[in-house]
Amino acid sequence: MTVADTIVPNITANIAADLPFKTIDANLILYITAIIIVAYVLTYLLSFILIRVSERIGWYRTSVTMIIPLLKIVIYTVSLYYIIIASIEPSLTQLVAFSGLFGAAIGFGLKDLFADLVGGVVIIFEKPYQIGDIVTIGSQYGEVKDIGLRSTRIRTPADELVSVPNFTIFNQPVSSGNAGDLAMMIVIDLFIHPESDADTAVKILKETLVTSKYVIVSKKYPYTVLVEDFPFYKRVRAKGYVNDLRQEFEFKSEVTRRALAEFRRSGIRPPAFAPWSDNTTVQPDRGH
Amino acid sequence: MADPDTAVKESAVIGYDREIKDILGAIDRSGSGAPSHVAIVAEPMGGRTTIVNEIRRLYGYRVHYLSLDAVVTKKAIPDFAAVPQDIILIDNCAFLSTRKIGGFDVLNEFLRTQITSKKMFITTWNIHAWQYLDAVMNIGAYFQTIVILPKMDMPVTKQMILSRYKPGDIRFIDEGTTERSMFFSVIHRTVRLPFLATDLTIPWIKLNFTVMFSKLPRKKRIQVSIEDVIFEKINRIADGNPGVAILLWENCLVDNTISLSAIRENTCALSLDVNESFILSIILSMKSVHYNDLSAIAGGEINIDQVVYRLFQQGLVQEKDGYFKISPLLLKCITDYLRKTRRLW
Repeated sequence: MTVADTIVPNITANIAADLPFKTIDANLILYITAIIIVAYVLTYLLSFILIRVSERIGWYRTSVTMIIPLLKIVIYTVSLYYIIIASIEPSLTQLVAFSGLFGAAIGFGLKDLFADLVGGVVIIFEKPYQIGDIVTIGSQYGEVKDIGLRSTRIRTPADELVSVPNFTIFNQPVSSGNAGDLAMMIVIDLFIHPESDADTAVKILKETLVTSKYVIVSKKYPYTVLVEDFPFYKRVRAKGYVNDLRQEFEFKSEVTRRALAEFRRSGIRPPAFAPWSDNTTVQPDRGH
Repeated sequence: MADPDTAVKESAVIGYDREIKDILGAIDRSGSGAPSHVAIVAEPMGGRTTIVNEIRRLYGYRVHYLSLDAVVTKKAIPDFAAVPQDIILIDNCAFLSTRKIGGFDVLNEFLRTQITSKKMFITTWNIHAWQYLDAVMNIGAYFQTIVILPKMDMPVTKQMILSRYKPGDIRFIDEGTTERSMFFSVIHRTVRLPFLATDLTIPWIKLNFTVMFSKLPRKKRIQVSIEDVIFEKINRIADGNPGVAILLWENCLVDNTISLSAIRENTCALSLDVNESFILSIILSMKSVHYNDLSAIAGGEINIDQVVYRLFQQGLVQEKDGYFKISPLLLKCITDYLRKTRRLW
């Protein structure tokens, strides 16, 4: 046990003894319970409404959802304030002193929970990701469905809801595929035989990409198709933006299917050997 | 050769003075030998035909006119070098490309022809097709003058419509007594709340600006005639689109008489899936599209019969002889929806 572990609780206990605590009766308990219920219902209702509204407004979906965690923190802070006022009626000096020491006590006792809460506040204000973003936090990949004070909920491509503690942002890399935008860049790799006509393959993949029903192209959302030559194959890589990040996999799949079908029609052969890759979308042709 | 300023003054076209002047200026410059190709861009029913007719009227003897009504094949592009006229005027150039693999070959060929030709090309484009092609092919770089036809304001719409009649021919009826005699009126609006699947009818307060203006102090009083109120409403519903405004006017005009209450607003609450939105955006980007062309664009990925049936059933598209086009009075509603869902960029 450290010195801090013994001193902090003692000081907290001394200050707490000086605070003008109200008598705890049924009314007070009812009042506090009502505050907690109202705060919970209010955050739930506001989240529900804002998420539904955001679904309707297209382009600015994530702009609306980013308000939700901020509203949560405001509502819970106000609720906590009312609970404290109802319980102890402290002076400002007492409130500040007690809050600091109470926070420190919690910090030592419930270190992980406190770290998660701090992480939640950091996420809300620093915005490494927002509700609706496609993110990778640690080993988890998916769409952010909710940012709570303690954890962030992610919907994975396998439709699993994963709770990631907010503290994770301090010790794990966090990447956001769209950074608050609704569009997200998608990389699609196709591999062709080294003797196949790369120019035709580029033209086909380019046209497949820009004619996709999921694509968005503008100065802000450019597209490109690149070729790289490897010893046993050529890689044709398309980079383009899907207009709604929720259709990431449909976009990738549609472009791949159509491009491969057109490759076949145009006599572009698959390679005899293709490397493993996250973006590999063609099986090696063992027949050649 | 017509002087642009004089020609604009003499022009019978209403509301497009600046645009006509820009086009005539480009025609004027084309004589210097430098490339001076023009793209006239407008939304569907947005006034392209009016401008084209005016160019043909002013430069008829110099103009070779070609109107595209269906998707063009490479073979169908004429040999422009063999044409005696020095101005090639091509209407509905959206038909030079289709949104499918290999669908840009004709447009590429046309643009190659255009930049190597000594002749001047004036082309008209649906604004949605133009924006798409500019994003994916940068076609704006091939045109020295790009004229985007603006939305019309109420006075221009009024002038344009009334110019088709003799003074006094049209009778404007003030049936909207309630609407004009109160500061506000309670109307019932159907809304769809985000968390409910069904429509709700809620009372809504509508401010009556006409009466508000009439109650202003005498010095500031603005006289608002029933004519202006009617045209304000038509222009608002048409969203400044001249073609839609004329159509709305003609639909409401009975025996040369029009009343405020006869002009009804179209409401639409669209909810389309990806395939329906995509096909609707294709139809919107062209004047009218044949079923076969739509089918080619849809490819094997989309059940085109099902999509077309759904769009037709909802009244969003009209069909005639196998050609599909957007229901004109729902143009604004459809455009807004497709923009919101990022089908139009």
